Amino acid sequence: MTRFVRPAALLLVAAVTLVLPATLDDSALAVYILLGLAAIVTAGVSLLMGYAGQVSLGQGAFYAIGAYTAALLSLGGVPPLVGLLAAPVAAAVFALVIGTPLLRLRGHHLAFATLAMQLILLSLAGQLEFTGGDIGLQAIPQFSLGSFEASGAAAYAYMTWAGLAVVMLITHNVISSRPGRALRALATSETAAASSGIPVGRYKLVVFALSATFAGLAGGIYCFYTGYVAPGSFPVLISIQYIVMAVVGGLGTIWGAVVGATAITLLVQGLDRLASLPGMPTYAPSVLSYAVYALVLIVVVLFMPRGLVPALSRRPDRRPRR
Amino acid sequence: MPEESALSVSGVSRSFGGVYAVRDVSLSVADGEVCAVIGPNGAGKSTLFNLITGHLAAEHGQITFHGHRVDRLAPHRRARLGMSIVFQAARVFGGMTVRENVMVGSHGRTRAGFVSAALRLPRHRRDEREIAAEADVALERVGLAEWADRPADRLPIGQQRALQLARALCARPRLLLLDEPASGLRGEERERLASLVEELRAGGLTILLIEHDVAFVTRLADRIVVLDLGQVIADGPPAEVRADPLVLAAYLGQAS
Repeated sequence: MTRFVRPAALLLVAAVTLVLPATLDDSALAVYILLGLAAIVTAGVSLLMGYAGQVSLGQGAFYAIGAYTAALLSLGGVPPLVGLLAAPVAAAVFALVIGTPLLRLRGHHLAFATLAMQLILLSLAGQLEFTGGDIGLQAIPQFSLGSFEASGAAAYAYMTWAGLAVVMLITHNVISSRPGRALRALATSETAAASSGIPVGRYKLVVFALSATFAGLAGGIYCFYTGYVAPGSFPVLISIQYIVMAVVGGLGTIWGAVVGATAITLLVQGLDRLASLPGMPTYAPSVLSYAVYALVLIVVVLFMPRGLVPALSRRPDRRPRR
Repeated sequence: MPEESALSVSGVSRSFGGVYAVRDVSLSVADGEVCAVIGPNGAGKSTLFNLITGHLAAEHGQITFHGHRVDRLAPHRRARLGMSIVFQAARVFGGMTVRENVMVGSHGRTRAGFVSAALRLPRHRRDEREIAAEADVALERVGLAEWADRPADRLPIGQQRALQLARALCARPRLLLLDEPASGLRGEERERLASLVEELRAGGLTILLIEHDVAFVTRLADRIVVLDLGQVIADGPPAEVRADPLVLAAYLGQAS
């Protein structure tokens, strides 16, 4: 039965994805784009945490590197397409360099080191001249390809969701093949993985770089869409948000990133409406979103430890046999 | 060299906090031989095993494997030279089917990397088909064929060890290392495992067993090395070793 259900569901999702941008107004479209971008980054987090068992609290840093790279190149007169392609590459190269020492750490230590990395990068971006300091980079040209110029939000929506589709396809292909099996193996036991001939350290580094690549791509699209980047666009909260999305959606599932990003984005949007009601204090939105991340994380870990996607799509062969 | 030796351990030592767990141990396993290392608890069997597989570094001595010096190589490099391991503790990879677990075994001798996997290049597809077919053969051999598409972590313990064995075979090993393969298995499972090892021996595979169970080993091994307090106290054919007074005193005498 699943043989027919799967392609049908995929077609339906694709159709909805294609139709939505045409029907949404500009403010809803902004949410739709940011959701897609978050899902791209989250797909990388899910790959890193769910399949390779590594935690990064600094994924926002790679998002920022992608955004700054594309912004700097475009402002320097490089064609936007080159800037967009350079964004994931720059993030990946940075991840390979910083990951070499960082990935010697495990668990909480790795999480804190990646968090520190993001804080350091943000403060550098806020100090340095060429990144525009705290004000950041502005008047980034629109994305264009030949004579086509992406001027409306709908164009960026398509770009974002096409990027998400590519990221999901790559994830799927990698996970279901030799390197993916190696990653899943080392998530269970590094000892046994090494004894099957898997170079554990190198694989961790590559998956770290791959997750950074996804974040960098999202950052590149982001900078063309908003037209400016500043340190304030990449708070630590954003990195935490990706982790919450990955966990809520279901670590180590391909659709988990999309489901988690959608659930959290809609929840935060709803809360933002609530927080901006007359009479609410000005700090309400940020306090509420912090609170909701914490609450959602706790509830999911307690009641759906494997996340929404496995909980909703539990197949008979996944149940314990008695 | 008098005889082609697959594995040769010479003068290897390793201490923990000043106490030697393995001290000046030498042994060699000839090509096609089934060699067993036995000894009472705390004799240093596990330490020796980890020194050979590379999960512990030796302080002194040399280990060579088919003429390669391996004692400074990382575990995955040793695996790529043809050492395959069946661990005592279940080291079954979660979140994967039984077949995928076995396919991991072929990692060291296959190539497809992230790029060819992500792009699904034709060569990669062909490789995947071949590996899957080979995994199925290995599963058939250990009697897990009908489990191939089930999640591996749902297998009962006894069959998890059979799964590890299938994974090790999928690597096409030149030396199979078994760490306490009989421990925790019930009579029937143990019997299955023993006949499987006999089959592999008949097929010419070189095997090194680390084992606590003397009866199990006597039946399977061509040669037995006895460790006590980190040192080799006997080395010879099973009948000879079992009659050795030193061994009787150190090991058999105190066996429960």
